[in-house]
Amino acid sequence: MQKLRRLMPLAAVAVLALVAAGCGSGGGGSTGGGAGTQSTSGKTGGTVTLLDAAGSVDSLDPGYWYYQTDYEELGQTTQRWLYSWKPKDNVPTPDIAQGPPQISNGGKTLTIKIKSGIKYSPPLQNQTVKAADIKYAMERCFAAPVGNGYAFSYYSGIQGAPSAPTSKVKDISGIQAPDDNTLVLQLKQPVGILANANALGLPCTIPVPKNYAAKFDNKSQSTYGQHQVFTGPYMIEGAGSGTVSKAGYQPAKLISLVRNPSWDKSTDFKPAYFDKIIIKNGSDVTVASRQILSGTSMMSGDYAVPPPAVLKEGLTTKKDQFQISPSGGNRYFSLNTTVKPFDNLNVRRAVAAATNRNALRQTRGGPAVGTVATHFIPPLIPGFDQAGGNAGPGYDFYKNPNGDLKLAASYLKKAGYPSGKYTGPPILAVADNTPPAKQTAEALQQQLKAIGMKLNLREVPHATMYSKFCEVPKANVALCPNLGWGKDFFDAQSMIDPIFNGKNIVPSGNVNTAEANDPKFNSRISAAASITDANKRAETYGQLDKDLTGQVYYVTWLWDNEVNFTSKNVKGVQSAFNGNAWDLTFSSLK
Amino acid sequence: MTTYIVRRLLWVIVLLFLVSAITFVIFFALPSADPAQLRAGRQPNPQLVEAIRHKLGLDKSLPVQYYRYMKGLVLHFDFGYSYQNNISVKQQIFDRLPATASLAVGAAVVWLVIGISVGTISAIKRRSLFDRVAMGGALVGISAPVYWLGLLSLYLFANDIGKIKIFPGSGSYVPLSEDPTKWFTSLILPWFVLAASFAAFYARLLRGNLIEVMSEDYIRTARAKGLRERRVVLRHGIRSAITPIVTAAGLDIGILLGGAILTESVFNIPGIGRLAYDSIQQSDLPMIQGTVLLGAFFIVMMNLVVDVAYAFIDPRVRYS
Repeated sequence: MQKLRRLMPLAAVAVLALVAAGCGSGGGGSTGGGAGTQSTSGKTGGTVTLLDAAGSVDSLDPGYWYYQTDYEELGQTTQRWLYSWKPKDNVPTPDIAQGPPQISNGGKTLTIKIKSGIKYSPPLQNQTVKAADIKYAMERCFAAPVGNGYAFSYYSGIQGAPSAPTSKVKDISGIQAPDDNTLVLQLKQPVGILANANALGLPCTIPVPKNYAAKFDNKSQSTYGQHQVFTGPYMIEGAGSGTVSKAGYQPAKLISLVRNPSWDKSTDFKPAYFDKIIIKNGSDVTVASRQILSGTSMMSGDYAVPPPAVLKEGLTTKKDQFQISPSGGNRYFSLNTTVKPFDNLNVRRAVAAATNRNALRQTRGGPAVGTVATHFIPPLIPGFDQAGGNAGPGYDFYKNPNGDLKLAASYLKKAGYPSGKYTGPPILAVADNTPPAKQTAEALQQQLKAIGMKLNLREVPHATMYSKFCEVPKANVALCPNLGWGKDFFDAQSMIDPIFNGKNIVPSGNVNTAEANDPKFNSRISAAASITDANKRAETYGQLDKDLTGQVYYVTWLWDNEVNFTSKNVKGVQSAFNGNAWDLTFSSLK
Repeated sequence: MTTYIVRRLLWVIVLLFLVSAITFVIFFALPSADPAQLRAGRQPNPQLVEAIRHKLGLDKSLPVQYYRYMKGLVLHFDFGYSYQNNISVKQQIFDRLPATASLAVGAAVVWLVIGISVGTISAIKRRSLFDRVAMGGALVGISAPVYWLGLLSLYLFANDIGKIKIFPGSGSYVPLSEDPTKWFTSLILPWFVLAASFAAFYARLLRGNLIEVMSEDYIRTARAKGLRERRVVLRHGIRSAITPIVTAAGLDIGILLGGAILTESVFNIPGIGRLAYDSIQQSDLPMIQGTVLLGAFFIVMMNLVVDVAYAFIDPRVRYS
């Protein structure tokens, strides 16, 4: 449930139609392992500089990390997870774990053996990682002082897991560490995303030694992040003293990573080629893009695409420096089923039919930024092929990517508008006020005029759009044009459940913005979560996607691409797990 | 004079109090994002949002929230902690103030030197080629957007993406305490970019004033007394014509000390302006309050400095 990469508001990131999208293969159903086809060999040594447009990570605490930038810049580089992700894999790889979870007790007990001899960075260089450290790490994710955003979604099936944030870190009976090398999870019922280790490939499983961290966690807001110890190939410069110093981290300015002296390459699958990684925040996107493309030893940071002129020029003259891949996310607009006229299925279908998805894609930059979507689950995620792949489930209202006004009129007639045009009052829509989202919303406003639908469009800052309007049911916003969702891992549960399950409707922070709440779908979605067989899961979620797409709670119009680029002397390797942002532990200098 | 200054300083306190109250009211009156929800991330557990709201004190009534903020500020000079990353606002501001001060003060030196020199020469050599070229250039300087000028200067002169690689480019700023030479060279382009429109405006302003002053009776008298033209201009002409420049410079420097968002953005200088902009985007009220109060403080203080400076520049001004 990662938020799609946040865009630097100062930058105009609309991109011209330039290149064919790289996500046409549709290989969503693959669950195979292996290193993939992308070469991950590289040259050891050197310093690379990553240029960010925004302010980088929100927190230093591994228990808080949830966003793409968190994973790219600190999560994958400085810490080892119970399960991690090789660049092209869509299944997790045992990292601190020795192998996949051993399932017993009818799927209700997972036993995970962990490796010996993995050491923490200074000042705990003499202490090794124990199973109890992972138990504590998972427990602290339920504590309010840490503020984790996904533990309640993915770990609530563990016996004794709290249903609300705890004021302090509390023991959870279902997470057990019978010895230093064994972690046992006792579940209330089988949980597919724990059995397949997908949800164990998240930063909540980064080991945190209780004997060291408890004093930092025992505050109203944990300060462990500022004092953390590292297990990955890199650590924040100067943090060996036990406190992150200015040399290594200055909020919204700089992160400097150096090699972790405690890291033992023989126990890790990451090559970690760079000697040093510098992350500079707050760059102007236009300037930074040019600096990267014409400079040396630099990589693009936290912005989804470079500005149109730079991209056009770059793809013409410096194509080798670009990498464009599906991000595993989508973009859609919601039709609130509790607000008229979208309580009527035929009106929703008319809107889907009238939508020119090609034109909406053009507002973000055309084919370079992604593939026109035909259903919700994006490429690379199991269930994509089962839902129809690129062609989609075959609904008539999704057939023409340029829109079909005649079909829209026929649906409106079925909905009780004899003229084939909507004749009701204006419809409240709340959109982002920065480009390119603003342009998308305005294009949709124009498109819906053609079927008589007048959008009363309110444009507000991005964060306000979510937290005051679209994700607040009592705001009664009928249509939100600028929504997007990204996977947390390669399992469709993280795409379908939050968005379509009626049980997720809450007074604020409500990501089920359409307020989809059909009891039949709710029970099917909830039941799917406990399926542990990979093929059956993909089949079930694919079928759910097909059926939910038919209900048009949302009109999905784009499967996003990630557009990354480097200086000429850098070999960038993308992380499919992390929306194809860079994997800095596999990237290298040439 | 002392009484006047004390009285003005008391008014500064009242003004800052009003500014803080207005900022607070605007934040909650306008549709800004919910800080607790932003902090809780996507699809947050509702209880987590409430826990964060409680932790940030946002579950208290607005007057209580404001009272707590002001109490911390007045009694402990505590600006609070960022809603986004729990870092001390005071620490963030003091970390970034040197960068903004370096930018603003350096640019002010550039624009005052250029503006006063060009304005004076243009006024003395009225309708000459220099005057026409200078005033034409000033018009361009005033009209050119800072962001565009910044990009242009980088594309022309930056040592990474420029055509003529002379000056350090974007992101090269280092603090003065770290490396004075690099500090100086990294700020050359930003200083000139930021100073361009101000220098142009000041040159035109001084030219106009000086032309008017030079036709005054006392200037004719000075000349009749046999003073050299240079002395007439510098001692009698500019001293009188420069008063509006001092007023404008004081306010402009005050405003820029509160942050020069566009210049800081283009050149990636980690200053107050950028901090303020990011805080607004993230609905980070303590950080917004801190940066707004800082900006207001500099403006009112520079205003006071200007008023006091009048007494020294213009013999007609007396405070009692």
